[in-house]
Amino acid sequence: MSSPQPNLSEAGTAPGLAPATTLVSRSSLQIFIVLVRRELWEHRALWMTPLVVAVLLLATTFLAHAGPFPFVNDDEVWRHERSREALFALMEWGLTVPQYLVMVIVLSFYLTDCLYAERKDRSILFWKSMPVSDGATVVSKLLTALVVVPLGIYLLALITSVLFAALMLLRVSLGHIPAGMAMWNSIAWLKVQALMLYGLIVSMFWYAPLAAYLMFVSAWARRNVTLWATLPPIIAILLERFAFGTNHVVDLLQYRTYGIWGTLNLQNSVNSTVTDGPSHIVSLTGVFDTLNISTPFLSIDLWLGVGVAVALVFAATRIRRYRDDT
Amino acid sequence: MTAVIEARGLKKTYGVTTAVDSVSFTIQPGRIVGLIGPNGAGKTSLFKAILGLTQFDGDLRVLGRDPRSERNDLMQDVCFIADVAVLPRWLRVSQALDFVAGIHPRFARSRATEFLRTTDIKMSSRVRELSKGMVTQLHLALILAIDARLLVLDEPTLGLDLLFRRQFYDTLLNDYFDKERTIVLTTHQVEEIENLLTDVIFINRGQVVLDCAVDSLPARYVQLNVTNDRAAEARQLQPFYEREVFGRVAMFFENKTAAELGSFCTNGGELRTPSVADLFVAKMQGTGS
Repeated sequence: MSSPQPNLSEAGTAPGLAPATTLVSRSSLQIFIVLVRRELWEHRALWMTPLVVAVLLLATTFLAHAGPFPFVNDDEVWRHERSREALFALMEWGLTVPQYLVMVIVLSFYLTDCLYAERKDRSILFWKSMPVSDGATVVSKLLTALVVVPLGIYLLALITSVLFAALMLLRVSLGHIPAGMAMWNSIAWLKVQALMLYGLIVSMFWYAPLAAYLMFVSAWARRNVTLWATLPPIIAILLERFAFGTNHVVDLLQYRTYGIWGTLNLQNSVNSTVTDGPSHIVSLTGVFDTLNISTPFLSIDLWLGVGVAVALVFAATRIRRYRDDT
Repeated sequence: MTAVIEARGLKKTYGVTTAVDSVSFTIQPGRIVGLIGPNGAGKTSLFKAILGLTQFDGDLRVLGRDPRSERNDLMQDVCFIADVAVLPRWLRVSQALDFVAGIHPRFARSRATEFLRTTDIKMSSRVRELSKGMVTQLHLALILAIDARLLVLDEPTLGLDLLFRRQFYDTLLNDYFDKERTIVLTTHQVEEIENLLTDVIFINRGQVVLDCAVDSLPARYVQLNVTNDRAAEARQLQPFYEREVFGRVAMFFENKTAAELGSFCTNGGELRTPSVADLFVAKMQGTGS
């Protein structure tokens, strides 16, 4: 071979069986971070959409005409500290709802696409030319959807809530809105944030089988991933309905959608007397105060779901490893 | 010296179709092996087996490992370019470098950037903004910077113009290849690479038709060009293939000495070593295969 340029020699064209001299060892964590970054490069919607939602939310906060809420001006409600706290907590929760709704949509698209797109554009042959196991790749995609993106959105929502409070204060000081609308309660805020984080962690376990199911279909379907993901449950529901006249599949899906929240004391509320009678405001701080952290994790169904998720991820990994149609 | 690739009775079937039919061959280190065959001969199936991308029957060792069960370890020492279309279109050049640098223990980023500096490729470009030739250059830059022991190239220059093809092989030969490295490649442009090959393996209908070092070809194969009037006489010596070229007949013989054929070298007759491309056509179409 021709003599390598000096700056190339550091690449270590070490002779014989000694290329180990250039070996740079990497921890699993470093590789995991690279794999997750790869996902965020490819699927930019994962981080751009939440940012857009946050900006829209804050822009609305600042620009929209905010008339007084009917109950905000009600002295009866505002006289009670607990009612005010409950309203504040509800508002803090409500602020995050758009983020999490959008997250569910974006993640559904991501999960159905993540093992399909690479086969469609044949880039899987490039990814597979790298010394990364199929298991590491598949798990990195699952954890991107179940952990990385939700935690990122949690942090973003947290920052948004602080900026929201600051903007409201600014508007009050500018005289745009009534003073009562700029609420702040540090303890309640912390409780709501902790509750949201806790709910997020429970969600990661509870929704793992749904995420793994979408990934499995993404790895398995030759085309029309969305169709393959949605048709089987619909057909199962219809078949069951016609054949047995029962609704077990629907019940199961509904249970898997929000069943776990029954283990939390979400009915916790405070009474407040308004002019035309007593009214109940759900108290999230109350939920936090009575929270038993272990309850959802004592649910066998939660762990059954995790078991199903592990099986589906394993199946998706096997399919990616041995499928041969590119 | 341990073989880089050792196949014994390697077989790959797709349903009732046999893509690779019990082939056996050995590839030694420091060789540049052309795996040459018509479309559908089983080249890609063979490559997929070598790279652990597909299941197969029989015994196959790549760098002493079984590609079926030891694929992850194997990929530290093996690089491959499937073809130019596999770099994802959304990927930026800088991201490609970041990714490989973050994953591959034998990747020297400085080497890749050094090579990219000689091209028109910008770090901020996405793959979809690059021409086909540039995508190949990018892929080549990544591969050249990996200190691998085996490089597998499946039609790496497909769809590229002559300038890019020439540059691709020049770079491969000058900046990458050395006597510890092994390159196995397929291409339909046999004429363009036959000077760089050290070995050829011809494959047809899933079977190895020829497995030979290029420098031992002259001892095994000879091409005799004779005028038409002596063709019948030469045909007595049983060429395995013949064709007419410019009023003369080119005949291809296997294991014939110059002494047997020397008498034809008068009156415009000539003996020569066939080119790999001509030998390929002869082997594919002649009676010898």
